[in-house]
Amino acid sequence: MREYRFERPGTVTEAVRRSGSDTAYLAGGTTLVDLMKLEVMTPGRVLDINRLPLRGLDATGGGLRIGALERMTDVAADPRVRLGYPMLSQALELSASGQLRNMASIGGNLLQRTRCGYFRDVSMPCNKRQPGSGCPAIRGENRMHAVLGTSDSCVATHPSDLAVALAALDARVQLQGRDGVRTVNLCDFYLLPADTPHLEHDLRPGELVTGVIVPRLDWAQRSIYLKIRDRQSYEFALSSAAVAIRREGDTIVEARVAVGGMGTRPWRLPAVERALAGRPATSNTYAAAATATVDGTRPLRHNAFKPELMQRTLIRALLELEQTR
Amino acid sequence: MTVSPIGREIDRVDGPLKVTGSAPYAADYRPEGLVYAYLVQATVGRGTVRGMDVSRAEAAPGVIAVFTPFHPLPLKSPSGESGENYSALQDTAVRFRGQIIGLVVADTFERARDAAALVSADYTVTPSRTSLADAGPGVPQGLVQKLAPGVSSIDAALASSPVTITTSVSQHAHHHIAMEPHATTAVWVDDQLTVYCGAQSPQRAAATIAARLGVEPAKVRLICRYTGGGFGQRSPVWNEALLCAAAARALRRPVKLVLSREQVFTAIGHRAAVRQTIRLGAEADGRLRALSHDSDGELPAAGGWQMMPGRDTSAVAYRTPNIRIDQRLVTLDTPPTWSMRAPAEAPGMFALETAMDELAVRTGVDPVELRLRNYATEDPVEGHPFSSKYLDECYRVGAERFGWSRRTALPRSQTDGDWLIGMGMASALYPAWRQPASARARFRDDGRVAVASATSDVGTGAFTMLAVVGADELGLPVSSIAAEVGDSALPPGGVGAYGSSVTTSTVPAVQAACRAAVKALVQSAVDNPRSPFAGLAPATVRYRQGRIEANGRSVDFRTLLRTMGVPHVEAVSTSAPDKSASQYKFHCFGAHFCEVRVHRLTGEPRVNRFTSVFDVGRVVNAKAARGQLTGAIIWGIGHALLEADPIEPDGRFAAASMADYLVPVHADTPEIDVHWLDRPDPHISEFGARGLGEIGLVSSAAAIGNAVFNATGIRVHDLPITIDKLL
Repeated sequence: MREYRFERPGTVTEAVRRSGSDTAYLAGGTTLVDLMKLEVMTPGRVLDINRLPLRGLDATGGGLRIGALERMTDVAADPRVRLGYPMLSQALELSASGQLRNMASIGGNLLQRTRCGYFRDVSMPCNKRQPGSGCPAIRGENRMHAVLGTSDSCVATHPSDLAVALAALDARVQLQGRDGVRTVNLCDFYLLPADTPHLEHDLRPGELVTGVIVPRLDWAQRSIYLKIRDRQSYEFALSSAAVAIRREGDTIVEARVAVGGMGTRPWRLPAVERALAGRPATSNTYAAAATATVDGTRPLRHNAFKPELMQRTLIRALLELEQTR
Repeated sequence: MTVSPIGREIDRVDGPLKVTGSAPYAADYRPEGLVYAYLVQATVGRGTVRGMDVSRAEAAPGVIAVFTPFHPLPLKSPSGESGENYSALQDTAVRFRGQIIGLVVADTFERARDAAALVSADYTVTPSRTSLADAGPGVPQGLVQKLAPGVSSIDAALASSPVTITTSVSQHAHHHIAMEPHATTAVWVDDQLTVYCGAQSPQRAAATIAARLGVEPAKVRLICRYTGGGFGQRSPVWNEALLCAAAARALRRPVKLVLSREQVFTAIGHRAAVRQTIRLGAEADGRLRALSHDSDGELPAAGGWQMMPGRDTSAVAYRTPNIRIDQRLVTLDTPPTWSMRAPAEAPGMFALETAMDELAVRTGVDPVELRLRNYATEDPVEGHPFSSKYLDECYRVGAERFGWSRRTALPRSQTDGDWLIGMGMASALYPAWRQPASARARFRDDGRVAVASATSDVGTGAFTMLAVVGADELGLPVSSIAAEVGDSALPPGGVGAYGSSVTTSTVPAVQAACRAAVKALVQSAVDNPRSPFAGLAPATVRYRQGRIEANGRSVDFRTLLRTMGVPHVEAVSTSAPDKSASQYKFHCFGAHFCEVRVHRLTGEPRVNRFTSVFDVGRVVNAKAARGQLTGAIIWGIGHALLEADPIEPDGRFAAASMADYLVPVHADTPEIDVHWLDRPDPHISEFGARGLGEIGLVSSAAAIGNAVFNATGIRVHDLPITIDKLL
């Protein structure tokens, strides 16, 4: 860890004004402090935003607005989330460990960095950490790496569970910067690595995530987040699926589908949604729709199983969702 | 009247200290003037350090010294058994990625760590050989062979067998990851060194440190009163601890060195990667005609422990007329290896018991019945009878407790919703080993008896074992015994905490020391002129439950010592196995039964329940025994389903952190039903304990793998058994 200046701005405006290229915002610290210890991140200034008024979960007018500093544990336990958007509380509860969820914030969760072992090891090249230095993962140990959205410079998986569920829900991210506030679609907020994997988010200099908006979706009451992983707890996804279905009788009218553990960002699957819509809710439909997931996958040496696992995860999520009715 | 505590559920005597955080571990000592060291490790796999730039580190705030191969700390070369075959910083060679190439000392831990990151090194890199999978057969190290009369070779015996099975298995490097990371606090007072450092054998570790620093053995004292896990990686002394002691000598002030979790993965030895092939030849009814066990184990060029997985497994397990064990070692440029809990037996028995399950499937014989048909009552190679073996009872009791009769042999025939259910079993065995050991018993005038042995309590319960055995022997409550371990200054002859041998070896020594101390107390009572028993013949004076009695008088030993003006009376005794022991083969045995579930779509393997029954001789403390056996079975879950650290071509461990190297968490750990037969071994010692720290791990992975096969019809030979292999 390098020496840094620790500051505690009193307002969001002040925080944004003080922020610069050498600055990191500190919320729960569950990613930042780890990466500072490893010297993967070496900010000269750390702005502690924990006292800023970015808390609160608001459900007035339909949908949800979640303050960026809300803790994962609290959001997962909120009855409005549990009942209205089960996939959100499930995604949160299947993340990390109880201790981490007590500390980690919603904004920080969306901004958490990849778990790629080469990114986290400063003795190794990494285009994300050190642009142009190379990507050892492409030919290295890449069992956990992405098969969607990868490029020749980066194959790192996006690690968030929450972001997958939010992607399925068309969530939007609220930002405040020096030029004011703006809102971006969560799916657009995450950038593909292309040849600039160090640029991960649509964030302007100094911009701070202030909240997340989940648009009203009444039929998200019937939704699921399924996470498949080697270890039963405290482990990132090999594969995950966030699924919501609106049915009329035995017919699927509308579907929302996103997957995790697969992409360089949370991955929405509109082709699968289209393949489900208008079809009977049967396992044949699910299996047929799931085949649409493998379009465009780019498997590596150790993760060639992932496209198959993605299909199976999706089918299982659809079947389990059916059983919750 | 005191009830014997032997075999009862006894709380750890050190428990309250540990749960309140007041038990001092190596990094908890803060001597006056303490400074802090941090390691710099090589970032290439093999080659030479051409030069190092330490200027930024030296200029960093609080930095006191930076030691490198170009500004080394003097250390002697290792001799004899050692984790590594070189001393750090004595030359510029890089033998493996992660080798120590520098030590930064500063006034705080954080400043030492941050300055260490400012050290840069230039290397000349030479290609590394790191892949066991890509290497050819290794160099044969230990051939064990027995052929029946008239049989020309194992191949001939296999070729003539009606049924043959060939099974090849492999596993990557494993890491011990003791809860306490490696830490050393070194304090010199004049020419006398005290080292606080976790160690499995305090006296051997102190001797090693003295030899490597070039000082008289008497000048080094090692204290490891509390040690947060050993598992083998604390049996040798690694370069880090030696450098810490050498830095303290050079700087003339106490130095503390605490490794980060990540550093422990490479600076400290791991369990060698190993690949094995079992070939079985059998009759149609499953009776074995031939057993061949070949292995190729990783042996680092920088030194390490020799992985010999057939010797104490396939050469012992089953009655077989023809056996051949060929154990080979492959030299690689990998970080050092060392023994790790059931070091060779866990991988060896995974191979054998996987093959036995395949034989059961092929012959259609029930796996338990197959093992009974091949039951060995004597060592199949040497012919010695087992000292005590009730493995058949373990099978019967285990099968009953588990409900083995409900298993169906056909894979994929049992389900629970979308989960495939499978049941598997395996037999376990582990050598029982009694070393010569010494102990001291000391009646003190505070009314307690100190029972000491220079072994180590690595979390296993040795403190409590000493207290229980001392209490039993002296007829006192457990709370009247003050147990002492973990100090090289205790009487010579303490055993190392390895090979599941501490209890087996130390119990007889404690019993002997207690008896000798009673004798000394009686002698003192008749010799001391202030004693109420002065002048009596020793034979007329009796010790009973802490009291000295004669002529109708009875005095407790505390009062007696105070009356005599003697602070304590003690005796040191050594106890060694009888000569007659060489006629027997000493082994512990067990039978594992487990049920797993595997999701039919997404393939997660999960353990539903586990039942294990062991034959380990007499048990000292039921609570500690259950903890050891249960913990080892959880290790078996890791062995089967999670643990692996693949090594990359340049010698980098791909999973060298706790985020990447998965070990079981509570959610992976089902109900584990552990049971043992209470059958003292009549030949190992008067007491009859055989040791149980490791056997729980042996074959638990095989039982899981066999259950996964029963659930899915898929046999996974390359560990761990992960989702991608079950789709």
